[in-house]
Amino acid sequence: MALSGLDIYKLLPKTNCRQCGLATCLAFAMQLARKSLPIEKCPFISAESRRILEEQALPPIRPVNIGYGDKQFEIGNETVIFRHEEKFRNPAAIGFIIEDSLNDEAIKKRLEEIEEMRFTRVGQELNLNLIGLRQNKDGERFLKALETVTSSTGMPLMLMSGDLSVLEKAAQACRQRNPLLYAAKEDNYAAAGAIAKKLNLPLVVMAQDLEKLSRISGELEKEGIKQIVLDTGAKPPAEKIWDLTQIRRQALKKKNRALGFPALAIAENEDPFREALEAGDYLAKYAGIILVKNLRKEEALSILTLRQNLYTDPQKPLQVEPKIYSVGKTDTSSPVLITTNFSLSYYTVLGEVEGSKIPAHILSVDTQGMSVLTAWAAEKFNAETISRALNENRLKELSDGKNIIIPGYVAMISGELQERSGFKITVGPKEASGIPAFLKNLMRVP
Amino acid sequence: METNLTLEKYPGLISTVTIGSEGEELTVGGQNALPLLFKEGNIPNPPKIAFEVWDIFPGDFDPELLNIYGEEAKDPFAWAELGINKCKADLICLRLQGAHPDYGDKNASKIAGFVEKFLCRIKVPLVIIGSGDDIKDNLIMPACSEAARGRRCLLGSAVQDNYKTLVASALADGHNIIAESPIDVNIAKQLNILISDMGLPLERIVIDPTIGALGYGLEYAYSIMERARLAALSGDRTLASPFICMAGQEAWKSKEAKEIPGQGAIWEALTATSLIQAGADILVMRHPKAIEETKNHINILFGGK
Amino acid sequence: MRKFKIIFRPDNLTVEAEEGKTVLDAAVSAGIDINSSCGGEGTCGKCKVRVLKGAPDILTSGLISPRERKNKVFPACLTVIRGDLEIEVPENSRAAFDAFTAEEPSGIMPETKEGEFKRSPLFASPKGSVFNFGFSFDIGTTTVAGQLTDLNTGKILGTKISGNRQAAFGSDIITRIVYAEKPGGLKKLNRAVLESMGRIIESLAEENKIPLKEIHGILCSGNTTMIHLLLKIDPAWIRRQPQLSVPSFPTLTAKKAGIKINPAGILKCIPGVSGYIGGDTVSGVLAAGFYREEPLCMLIDIGTNGEIVLGSREYLAACAASAGPAFEGSGLSCGMRAVSGAIQKVEIDSKTFKSAYLTVSGDPARGICGSGYIDLLSEMLQRGIIDKNGKISAEGKHIRSTDNGKEFIVVSGEETRAGQDIVVSETDIENLKRSKGAVYSACAVLARHLSLDLSAVSRIFISGGFGSRLDIEKAVRIGLLPDLPREKFIFLGNSSLSGCRKILLSQDALKEAFSIASRITYFDLASDPGYMEEYGRALFFPHTDLDKFPTVKF
Repeated sequence: MALSGLDIYKLLPKTNCRQCGLATCLAFAMQLARKSLPIEKCPFISAESRRILEEQALPPIRPVNIGYGDKQFEIGNETVIFRHEEKFRNPAAIGFIIEDSLNDEAIKKRLEEIEEMRFTRVGQELNLNLIGLRQNKDGERFLKALETVTSSTGMPLMLMSGDLSVLEKAAQACRQRNPLLYAAKEDNYAAAGAIAKKLNLPLVVMAQDLEKLSRISGELEKEGIKQIVLDTGAKPPAEKIWDLTQIRRQALKKKNRALGFPALAIAENEDPFREALEAGDYLAKYAGIILVKNLRKEEALSILTLRQNLYTDPQKPLQVEPKIYSVGKTDTSSPVLITTNFSLSYYTVLGEVEGSKIPAHILSVDTQGMSVLTAWAAEKFNAETISRALNENRLKELSDGKNIIIPGYVAMISGELQERSGFKITVGPKEASGIPAFLKNLMRVP
Repeated sequence: METNLTLEKYPGLISTVTIGSEGEELTVGGQNALPLLFKEGNIPNPPKIAFEVWDIFPGDFDPELLNIYGEEAKDPFAWAELGINKCKADLICLRLQGAHPDYGDKNASKIAGFVEKFLCRIKVPLVIIGSGDDIKDNLIMPACSEAARGRRCLLGSAVQDNYKTLVASALADGHNIIAESPIDVNIAKQLNILISDMGLPLERIVIDPTIGALGYGLEYAYSIMERARLAALSGDRTLASPFICMAGQEAWKSKEAKEIPGQGAIWEALTATSLIQAGADILVMRHPKAIEETKNHINILFGGK
Repeated sequence: MRKFKIIFRPDNLTVEAEEGKTVLDAAVSAGIDINSSCGGEGTCGKCKVRVLKGAPDILTSGLISPRERKNKVFPACLTVIRGDLEIEVPENSRAAFDAFTAEEPSGIMPETKEGEFKRSPLFASPKGSVFNFGFSFDIGTTTVAGQLTDLNTGKILGTKISGNRQAAFGSDIITRIVYAEKPGGLKKLNRAVLESMGRIIESLAEENKIPLKEIHGILCSGNTTMIHLLLKIDPAWIRRQPQLSVPSFPTLTAKKAGIKINPAGILKCIPGVSGYIGGDTVSGVLAAGFYREEPLCMLIDIGTNGEIVLGSREYLAACAASAGPAFEGSGLSCGMRAVSGAIQKVEIDSKTFKSAYLTVSGDPARGICGSGYIDLLSEMLQRGIIDKNGKISAEGKHIRSTDNGKEFIVVSGEETRAGQDIVVSETDIENLKRSKGAVYSACAVLARHLSLDLSAVSRIFISGGFGSRLDIEKAVRIGLLPDLPREKFIFLGNSSLSGCRKILLSQDALKEAFSIASRITYFDLASDPGYMEEYGRALFFPHTDLDKFPTVKF
């Protein structure tokens, strides 16, 4: 249980000395609870208090770094079970498994196909994160296939082999790429751990049973291996979901350090459609790395989009696209109502306009999701930003400009807006509920 | 280190809503555990799929869908039968779009007459949704509700500013109600309270949280659903309703479904299965392949317990 | 600039006004107080006047119905002077700024032991002067209260309450801060509050036959914005960075401040905490006394700014709910301050929906004040006239539909002074719902930040200028106050004024006020990510989480 602001306050000197830059110790405690500033800012905190606070600041799910250079990614460091409690921090890594049984040409071709699976959505780059090379034949083939892979792509790697000597050789061959080693198992974990420790590489620990997994991972952690990824092996989806949920709960609620690591899941199905649906479940349910094998471009786009959705910050407000929305059979004489792109503001105005049965345009101005009053106070919804939106949306072409209406709450900007935009501005009602009557009167509808 | 598994037991229970007439009914809800965590409680009813059908030809639908439906889309009865026979949908969701002023403006008696005929032909449990025009729907829904008396349908939708007419009909004719809220868990709760204040038992309400499709705000409804579910299982009866999600309608609004051939089906299916992770109980869908794969996925999840 | 003659009826006052100015401007200079919640921005529609003669320009607005247009009834702020005019100002458009209520501060004062603070008046009379009188003032956003005290004996000689004339420039702080940014704005706002104070001072001095030059000091308690405007300091930073600490206020001579008491007299202001937590809150905490005691207490101000303080000897946490002036009667269709004629208590018959009511001073009903609205909401919920969302869901003789939604008729026109019905509209209810939601959710958020349950609070002090009484039961039923054992609630009346009085009479109390101010931690709700959620939940009667109100059943 994380300490609350008040709990932290009780550990502080309570002198309100203001040395930390805040007015009271209570204010400092609140910020500390939010992890918005370091404990060091208080010069008078007791050693005991400091110890308590530092301990509870350690991440319950350790971050693990895989890959190198600008392709390196971090997984783990999650602090909640449900995204709405705060947010999910590190987007799950998604990678493709390639079998070494494919010949080199086929491997190169597959890598090309995978490289093509990058997209841009809503201003963000969506791409895959790693390649898992899996051993099917002898060690020599595995190492040769690895060479083909490393010479064709810079993507981070996961080395999947049941033979530790092969795994070690492969790891050494591409060590500078910081590959993830798969895997330490019940019958070989000490040796696997030694390899990971020697080469300072992240290691997957695999055991079907959660108790065993916890025990093994706990021992390895004591040996000084801090970069661990957990795997409970091949299971039907419902069981895998159960395992992933358990691991997350154990780490966060039971403070089980041995299970305080990100988890891995593999979704493998001949049918790419089905593989995608399975991968989607794991994405929603706490997997830190997901490996797939057969997805095509359209399934990859879908999964990457799902990842984008699940890992957005829920505390950022709901927004609609800032643009002009035309309601009903509008023409150039139709009134234009201006509001923000906060979803609720927009939909409220939309509802009233629809109810009025008077065709109208709604201009949704980009205020990063803030409502009218908040945006105005933050200088995001004022004469300048609105007149810019009017111009960008080519209002001169759309409307005769006789009835451009601003929300009543920002009446004070009407003069300046009129000057800046060149449009005649009418001040509308304060309450959206006043819109239907207002429009009726404005448009002289009997 | 000891690992006592964290088995969370919740005191609450999601209502069991029964849709359909005696002998042909299905049930949704009734769970007392979080989605798919079978070891923690009882999840008696797997999610159900409703096939969406309009009372008029859906000229607005994506050409890919119209292609698949073929001639059937021109006849609501045949179209519904396609959903039942080919797609094996559990319910039909009939949208009375033809009543909308911009879509034909059919009057109440015409609509009610059509619904009567439809009920004679189509025997599976039914969801009946209005045209979306509040004033018109307040005229047609009572008439349809009466025509459907005895069929225990799921009528939609009641919203915070317009719920009384629909609730009165549901009460009078023995139907269930869809309570629709705009991605807001507080309004969902408030609406359920207002509806139950009118005398409709909470066990006859299904919540439509107004989902956004994959890529178009899916995460908002996803989190609303998780929050509502947690509250319900912790004992809040006013949020303990099953969820209905318009996966088909939303997914096919997306640019991806519309512009990339072959993209729509996976887009719709992944929307549906993701919402199942958040607790969706009824998915209203359009593409036959999306429906087939979603059903298969549900079977795998529920079969493997 | 051409000037024209504007005649106001039935006052028969004539003023000269420049072309291009509005009729509202002209009325202000004529001394005619017209309602102007929005400060003349053309949104509230409360300043409607009738053009008897002349042809003014009317600015475009959706607030003018076709019938009004036909009858030449327009908002005064949108009526632009282009020639001579004759204007009728109807009763309903007039603001009752100057209706005094001469009441003793009401509510229960917590046990003030004599000698709680050593008596040592803040202000001294000059050598040789026998008399020493001082004023304590509470400068609220909507109302100003002044109290005359004999500093030699400590006796209160009288209290008067009037409207704050700044209301002509906007009913809320932000509107006034914005107005102050206009050229000449700060000066007008400063003059307006000085006028309000001046009239109270003159009136009380005259009643008690005290020459103004024997008044040697005024101690003011007010929120940070009010004090800035009083001292003519630019308030712009307040809305931009509300969390900054307030600098200490200068002490001015009466002459410098522009107040008509002994020119060498002193104007002093109680220290505040931050942009939205001012000296009035500090003063209220001092009056309530829990800052030096063990049990956890809460102070709730049900006013325009809705300040909440939660704490004890251990710590003090405060936030501002920005409730809006609804509970002070402003911004509602028939709202008014708690002066004579204001409906303050209502009961509605369950069958006929007819309202039985009591007004302030027993005068014929003119409108409804804050406590009257609290009663009304509770009754309407109880009788099923409105649903928990605040929408009118019943039918009957007392309910009618208008263009803007439905309304409930409390008093029919025959019984009122102006001959117009007194109603509560759905828009009014929405407004009140938001105000009460703001207050309750601010309490809930503050408690949550401190990981406390509201049931842990031992006493809840209520202060506010919405009336001389507060029906705690009904306030809980509508979800304005938390559902706690009723004996935990103590109604303080105007706590800002009570605290101000203590400080006026004791320099130790002033020191204590400074200490309290430095100990209060301000929590800014606007930047709190959980606040909007909490607020949304409170927009229901009594609350979306009915479990929080176990004793409330409709």
